[in-house]
Formats: sequence, C-alpha cells, structure tokens
Amino acid sequence: MNRSPTVELGGARRAMLTVVVALVSSLFLLFILAPVVGLVASGGGRGIASLGSDSELRSALLLTATTATVATVLGILGATPLAYLMARRAFPGRAVVAALMDLPLVIPHPVAGIALLLVLGRGSSLGGALYAAGIRVAGSPVGIIAAMLFVSAPLYLSAARETFARVDPRYEAVARTLGDNAWRAFRRVTLPLSLRGLTAAAVVMWARAVSEFGAIVILTYNPKVASVLSYDRFTSYGLSEALPAAAVLVVLALIPLAALRALRTGDALSR
Amino acid sequence: MISLQGVSAKAGDFRLVDITIDVPQGEYGVVIGPAGSGKTTLLETIAGVIRTTAGRIIVAGADVTAAAPEHRRLGIVYQHAYLFPHLTVRENIEYGASTAKSAADITAQFELGPLANRSIHSLSGGERQLVAIARALARQPDVLLLDEPFSALDPRTRDRARRMLRSIHNQRRFTVLQVTHDFVEAGTLGNVAIVMDAGRVLQQGDPSNVFTKPASAYIADFVGAENVFAGTVRASASEHDTTEHDIAEHDTSERNPNGRDSTERAGGADGQNRAAEFSTGALRFYVVGEVTFGAAHAVIRAEEVALSATRSTRAESSVQNQFAGKIVEILNSGPLARVAVNASGTIIVAMVTARSVRDLELRAGSDVVVGFKATAVHIC
Repeated sequence: MNRSPTVELGGARRAMLTVVVALVSSLFLLFILAPVVGLVASGGGRGIASLGSDSELRSALLLTATTATVATVLGILGATPLAYLMARRAFPGRAVVAALMDLPLVIPHPVAGIALLLVLGRGSSLGGALYAAGIRVAGSPVGIIAAMLFVSAPLYLSAARETFARVDPRYEAVARTLGDNAWRAFRRVTLPLSLRGLTAAAVVMWARAVSEFGAIVILTYNPKVASVLSYDRFTSYGLSEALPAAAVLVVLALIPLAALRALRTGDALSR
Repeated sequence: MISLQGVSAKAGDFRLVDITIDVPQGEYGVVIGPAGSGKTTLLETIAGVIRTTAGRIIVAGADVTAAAPEHRRLGIVYQHAYLFPHLTVRENIEYGASTAKSAADITAQFELGPLANRSIHSLSGGERQLVAIARALARQPDVLLLDEPFSALDPRTRDRARRMLRSIHNQRRFTVLQVTHDFVEAGTLGNVAIVMDAGRVLQQGDPSNVFTKPASAYIADFVGAENVFAGTVRASASEHDTTEHDIAEHDTSERNPNGRDSTERAGGADGQNRAAEFSTGALRFYVVGEVTFGAAHAVIRAEEVALSATRSTRAESSVQNQFAGKIVEILNSGPLARVAVNASGTIIVAMVTARSVRDLELRAGSDVVVGFKATAVHIC
C-alpha cells in the first residue's frame, strides 16, 4: 500500500521532534544532576568518614536537623488550621492572605533574614521584649528556627491547603450527621484522609528548612548550621575543605526526598 | 416528621427560596426536579450542613433551625456513599451507631455480615450504598435523607436495595426524604412528592396527584405528560353538552361574560365539578373539574387517550372528546406503543398496547379517532 507523502513527512517530523525533546530533557536533567552527583562523588566518602572526627560538622548537622524539625513542628501547628480554613471557608480577604503567605517564597532569602532581624533583633521592640524575657533570637538556635520557619512554612501551608481541598467536605457532613462535632469530624475523618498529604507537606518543609542558608546567615551566623558551615569553610579554606560538609548536607537532603517519593508511590498505589 | 416553614438558604451562588414542605412522621417523601433545582441543597439544609437564612426547620417535633447537624437526629446518604475509606465496613457502620447492638442488628438486616471486615475499596457500588444506608440507620435517626442513593446501581441491585430499605422503613417507621430522578421510584416508594425547580417548591402532595394533576405545564412536562396544550378555558355552554360539536355550537351564545382573562373558578361554591370548554388550535375539549377561566394549559396523560377506527355515538361510548386524525408516528416500546396523531393540526399522543396497534392495523398515515374522557383532562 502506498502511503501519502504527507503522512511520511508527518512521521519523520514526529521522530525528529521526539529526538529533540529527548535531547533537551537529557541536557536539563544533566544540568541538575551533574553538580549534585559530582559533589557527592568528590566529597561524600570523605564527608561521611570525617563525621567520626569532625565534631564541628557533627554539631552543625545535628543543629540543622534539630532546628529544622522544631521549625517544621511549629509550622505544622501554626499553618495547619490556617490551611484548613483557607481550603474550607470563603472569608473576606482569603485571596490576600494566600498572596501574603506566598511572599516569603518570592523575596530573596537574605532579604528575608534582614526583615526578620528588623522584627526580632535586640533593637526591635519585639526582639527587645524577648531578650528581656531571656529569649535571644539573633545569634542563637531560636534565630535559626525563625529563619527556617519563615522561608519554609509557606510551602507547607500551600501543600496542606491543597490536601484539605482534595478531601470532599461531604465526608465531614456525613460525620457530623453521625454525631461528631466539627473538631471530632476533623480528627476522625478529615485528618486521617489528609495524613499522607500533610506528611508530604511536612517533609517538603523540613527539606527546605535543612537547605536554608540566606536568611539564617543574616540572623544567626553562629552557631553554624550545615549550610553556613559549608559556606564558612569554602570562604576560609577553599573548595576542598568545603566539600565534605557540603556532600553530607546533600545526603541529608536526600533522605526526605526519598521519603517523599515513598509517600507519593504509596499514594499512587492506594488510588 | 419533617416540616420546613418558609426556609431560605444560600449555597455559593445558589439559593433556596421560601421552602415550605411537610412530610408527616413515618412517611416516605420524594423530591423530584431537574438537575440544579436545589434538591441536594434542600437535604443539606435540613441536615444542617447548609445554614438557613430564613424560616424554621422542624424535625421530629423539635425546632432544629439553629441546631448543629450532630444534634438533629437525622442521617444523610449521598449518591456517592461517602464511606470513610480509612475504615472497614464494620467500622463505618459502627461509626455513629447509637449502640453496638444497633450496628450489629442493621448489619444483619442488610446482610452485610460477610463484608464486615472488608475494606470499602473492595465493595461494589450496590454494597457501598447498602453500607452507607446501614451506617446512617445504625444511629437510629428519626429522619433519613437520601440523595439519589440508587441512581448509579444496576437495575437488579437497585431493586434489592429498594426492597431492603422499604422493609426496614416499614418496621421502624422513621421519616424519609429521598431525592430521585426516577419517576417510577417516586411513584412506588413515596407517599409525599415534592417537585422543585430553581430553588423553589413548585408542587407537593400525593405522588399520583402530582403525576395526574400537575400544578403547571412545566411540571406536567417534567413529570413526563405527553400531551400538554396551551389554550383558553371558557364556561361550557351546558353541563348537558356531550360532544365537541355541541360545545362548538354553544360557544358564542353562552360565552363567559368575563372573557378570556377571567379568573373566575368554573367549580361551584359548593366545590363540585363543573363543565368547561378548553380551546387549543382548532380543537375544543370538553372538560369537567374545578378550573379557572382564561389562559391555561390542558394536560392529558397519553395512557388516558384511546384510539378507535370509527367515531362512537353517544349511545356507544361515554368518551366525550373524540377527534378524527391521522397517525404521524408509531414508536413501539415492548408491549406498549406510543402513537402520535395529528388531529386538525394538533398532535395528540396515545399510549396503547402493541396488540391494539396490531388488531386495529394502525400504521403511519392511518385515519383514526382519538378519544379521551372529559375527566382525563387536567387544567393547570
């Protein structure tokens, strides 16, 4: 059977398009992967080996994980009710609140650090009051937590809001007619149905907190979290000394990434 | 019982307006209406999921207008069941059960025991609906609200589910209000029918009344009346007139002095039926009933229309309205046939048996006489 020239040309064009898309996609993936793989390959082994002897690196990693965890817990406690409210209720100014909550995502992180310093620094009224109460923000783990919370909570809020919005409110309506008050319906129905999405949102927030540098370095240079330590070693001793800390930080960030993948795979399987 | 008195509510851009309905204790109410008419909103307003902006809601004798859903002693079952996916069948049924025994009883009654430990993901559509109804009933509510619970089920499962629900309703006599698109369901299950459109109640009452005596042409059309004619009602020349010819003769001489815009009732002050005449196109129907003079619609269900080969005389038949016409279409539907007849430019549809079509040798183009009794004409 003779094929028309148009069909032949269409087939050839499609094949060429496939090759171009594959090439561009590969280059893009390479651009993302090459530095990470290079970093882990160059410094990963040394970094993990130095964990035993490098107490500063160990402390920085522990501080990073701890402060990121505290910031994530605070984010969950603070943002979950707001995420639920924004998913369920139409209230005046909801769009404005949503836009404001996205603000930390778009402003440069050192600028976020400066803004936080303005509000929480000892010279400010709030920072002064906290200092008077024995809580030092700038230059302490509290400052690290504040910086992490500021830059990463919007990610949690946004993902949690979408998660709640995906749970049909009629589940709650049914639970209410079955005797639950609003809180019990949330706790017994909405929360279990949202748990996977909320966990994924928390993991993303934690990962973002772990990788934060710009806001933290302005607010609390010391004690050093892993990202600040990497920067400090790079500026003080050069690339070679910075590599182990940087590589271990990448490995630390890969853990939540793997957890997120597992959660999403589980989600797909359960559907 | 469920009683709504002037209830208005708002759900997004949609509004329920001045809803007044009554479903007596233990009765089975059905709500019918086109998609988007507010049927689900009505149920959710009764359930307390949507707040009222005006009016009162009485459930089982108590004013629950301001009560939270959990204090209204009612259950709601949606078309999509909304079983809690993180719980097993047993846990779903026990979720709001008044007692463990009540959950066990309803599980047994709905024959759900073998499914008790199953995940709801493994259930069929019919099983899901039964579990959802069982879950609502395990709480022993005074009122059960059903939002098209059987519409997505295959006919066999639907029949089984209806039978089970009817059986338990007969035993416990709770009040039911069910939304349905299915007129058969509305006619067979319901004691009270409520017709809605655009957030308002258009008519309510005995289902057979709603189907045979719709309050408006719109309702008649919605409930599937084949013959709905726009026209004018006038006083009949005489209650002794018996044929359209006689009526035609008296038309000009004894016309209602109030003319076509009159709203005077043709029924007497004693509430008895009176004769009237309805004109549509070239046809004039003899009508008996409590009717309003002026512009109106005549509704005749196709089942009430008979076909014959020849016109009967008064001595042969009591059928008052007979019109010669020509068959334009015959649609067979199992043992029945829908026959459309053009009578002086007006299409009248008759639903007759396939056997009649065969015996009378009816076919498109055949000359026939269409007949229906004066009492078969409903004026609205």
